[in-house]
Amino acid sequence: MKKHLFSAILLLLSGTALAQDNAVLQGDDRQWPLAGKDYSLTRFSRLDQINAGNASRLQVAWTFSVGSNHGQEAAPLIVDGVMYVVGAYPNELFALDATTGQMKWKYSPHVDPSAQGEACCDVVNRGASYDNGKIFYNTLDNHTVAVDAKTGKEVWATKLGEITRGQTLTMAPLAAHGKVFVGNSGGEMGVHGWVTALDEATGKIVWRAYSVGSDKDVKIGPRFKPFYPDARGKNLGITTWPNGRWQSGGGPVWGWISYDPKTNLIFYGTGNPGPWNSNQREGDNKWTATIFARDADTGDAIWADQINPHDMYDYDEINENLLLDLPINGQVRPVLVHPGRDGFMFVIDRKTGQIYSADKYDTQTSILSYDIRKGRPNYNPALTPLLGKNVRGICPASPGAKDWQPTAYSPKTKLLYIPHQHLCMDYKTSEATYIPGTPYVGATVNMYAGPGHYRGEFAAWDLTGRKKVWAIHEKFPVWSGTMVTAGNIAVYGTMDRWFKVVNATNGKLLYQFRAPSGFIGQPVTYQGADGRQYIAMLSGVGGWAGALANAEIDPRVRNGALGYTGAVTDLPSVTSGGSTLMVFALPKGGAT
Amino acid sequence: MNRFLWIVIALTGLVVVVVAVGVSSAMMPGAWKKPALAKGYSGMVPAEAMLRVPVSGIYPGGNSNGLNPDMQNPLKNDPDAVIRGMKDFENFNCSGCHMANGGGGMGPALSNDTWIYRSSPANIYLDIAQGRSAGMPAFGAMLPDRTIWELVAYIQSLSNKPTPTFGVTTSAAPDSAPEEQVPAGQVQSPTPWNYTEPTPPNGEKNDAGDQRPDAPLPPGAEQAKPPLQLVTQ
Repeated sequence: MKKHLFSAILLLLSGTALAQDNAVLQGDDRQWPLAGKDYSLTRFSRLDQINAGNASRLQVAWTFSVGSNHGQEAAPLIVDGVMYVVGAYPNELFALDATTGQMKWKYSPHVDPSAQGEACCDVVNRGASYDNGKIFYNTLDNHTVAVDAKTGKEVWATKLGEITRGQTLTMAPLAAHGKVFVGNSGGEMGVHGWVTALDEATGKIVWRAYSVGSDKDVKIGPRFKPFYPDARGKNLGITTWPNGRWQSGGGPVWGWISYDPKTNLIFYGTGNPGPWNSNQREGDNKWTATIFARDADTGDAIWADQINPHDMYDYDEINENLLLDLPINGQVRPVLVHPGRDGFMFVIDRKTGQIYSADKYDTQTSILSYDIRKGRPNYNPALTPLLGKNVRGICPASPGAKDWQPTAYSPKTKLLYIPHQHLCMDYKTSEATYIPGTPYVGATVNMYAGPGHYRGEFAAWDLTGRKKVWAIHEKFPVWSGTMVTAGNIAVYGTMDRWFKVVNATNGKLLYQFRAPSGFIGQPVTYQGADGRQYIAMLSGVGGWAGALANAEIDPRVRNGALGYTGAVTDLPSVTSGGSTLMVFALPKGGAT
Repeated sequence: MNRFLWIVIALTGLVVVVVAVGVSSAMMPGAWKKPALAKGYSGMVPAEAMLRVPVSGIYPGGNSNGLNPDMQNPLKNDPDAVIRGMKDFENFNCSGCHMANGGGGMGPALSNDTWIYRSSPANIYLDIAQGRSAGMPAFGAMLPDRTIWELVAYIQSLSNKPTPTFGVTTSAAPDSAPEEQVPAGQVQSPTPWNYTEPTPPNGEKNDAGDQRPDAPLPPGAEQAKPPLQLVTQ
């Protein structure tokens, strides 16, 4: 609370200059300036007007259509009473009065429609970042744009990649420290993955670091001090691949970037190696499925943990890294919490890269255990995808125990809230041909429910006790993000159209609302000009998990959508695509 | 009339350019090399005839007036074309977007009778050769026309679903799709609609059986601990 007050005073001191630094804004819980709320990606708000005691009285305050019935994964931003929301392709940006829903302006980029054919899993966008009077976000056709937050005028637009090389942009960039950090998508297209820093003021590229290739390309130099021996060596981004294969080796950066102002480091994970068929790329395939720590100013790599060397199942490790201070062996340490796609909850020292713990949080058959002394998984040899063999019963399936959908951490309950899926798969590899601009996969996949007849879960995980405290089973994969507040509520949405508010302590359902379309978006909360607390979330099913319901995909062919069709054949009978932003509040005068 | 002529000339040039670049048949998996130039459009169907294939179903004045919406596949009577097309579909990464058996993903499903740019074999040919603005690459830049006609034959076979109706019903109860294709990981066939099985309820069928995740984990495997509390709603 003191911190809250302090931020509020800072805000007052900054007076009308509300084109502020998001470093300050993220401490003011009336706002939500970044997709992850803050640099640490906690998605926690100290607002408590809506709380576990009154959430049952929530009502719809207003709604808005972003006009594109594709998967809506974006987190709305709220700064200074204005809400900014990005739709799926064609990536229009809308500015709305956050209290009334009145539209102020929209910005419509001329996105190349061909980009739709290069995006692996629906044409989603995960949101924007606010800093110093500008909104920064990415368009599917590889542009990062800066838009004046007041007027909606374009400040700059920088093209960062080529769709003819299979690249797209879907992630929410992170604006911090005068720079915009952006990573590319295209793990299914054999792209050369990278993260790029742009100057916030001009859009000029400051540095770019690739995920595969020479030490120079990966920005590995004298400052690189990895914790584990398998990350030490020269040009491992080339030598851990068969001759030349690194060039189509993937490692895109399409997830989340966190930032630690104290050490001036950014943290992010890289995606899967290309192609999915692991038989074509003997070796560790560095630096795919790897967590990097980099200097924000120069891009220099500081350390790297390859979570899944020689990934065999499309276990990207782009999942968010929450920056928390947790007691480890009796001492509070700066850690990075990485809810792994591979089904392990990693707690890692963010100064050194040492893995303190790695615990399974869902059914896992493909990795027997994780060796934290070596920093490597013990893969299950029985489930090695031999070429042409239909290997059955691999858990988790390719989307992992958790995919992009971000978790939230409450310092109040000390729990991590995990929206995730519970799927297994059959997986048959074949030789893939690299043709730039076309998919580079080589796997026929069929996914299905994991043990226990459910496909999704919303769970609360005790990070210090290293255990799952409670869990709610959902019929469909939980592909939405979540957020948690000091009012002791956690919020998420389901693909079968339920907006849900649960008690953060025990998971008890407090409120639910049946929306126009299923949820795969990210909930946020803020305070309106009228002093009321609001909760906003985009409905609109889609993404990898829900494309079956919004696109021309056949539910009777299980291998569709990279095998996700099999897991959700019944989804089109409960929802269609949508584009409606839902905003909830307590009745006027109803806060108690 | 003058303008029309110019358009015809321009389009003829375009089609010739688009299909003029071929591909080496010995493409190595995993390593893409710039394809050797083929001798050109082999002319299985005259280029001018392809210009008369409409992608719209509306003819101003009501008369198609020389346009040919029903042009057939020149490989129609070649029984092996479908088999070769199936291999092409994999080798040129069609399966990466349209997926095994054409179930659809990044690209639309080919396993049904829904067509965005019309359904005739020549329409499908033009989809492949010219590409389409919503993301279909222009494969005429890479594939000789014979390969494209093989792909057309295979795609027609994929789309040959049983009991086509004017509209499609989707409902959970009663289940509007009580049958589905046998997964391609188990049966690979150029006629996947010949292999169907009952659709499992709620995607659940596959979580039982001795090869399935319910089976005990191998020795040495850590189990994920169950939650202390399972909350029911």
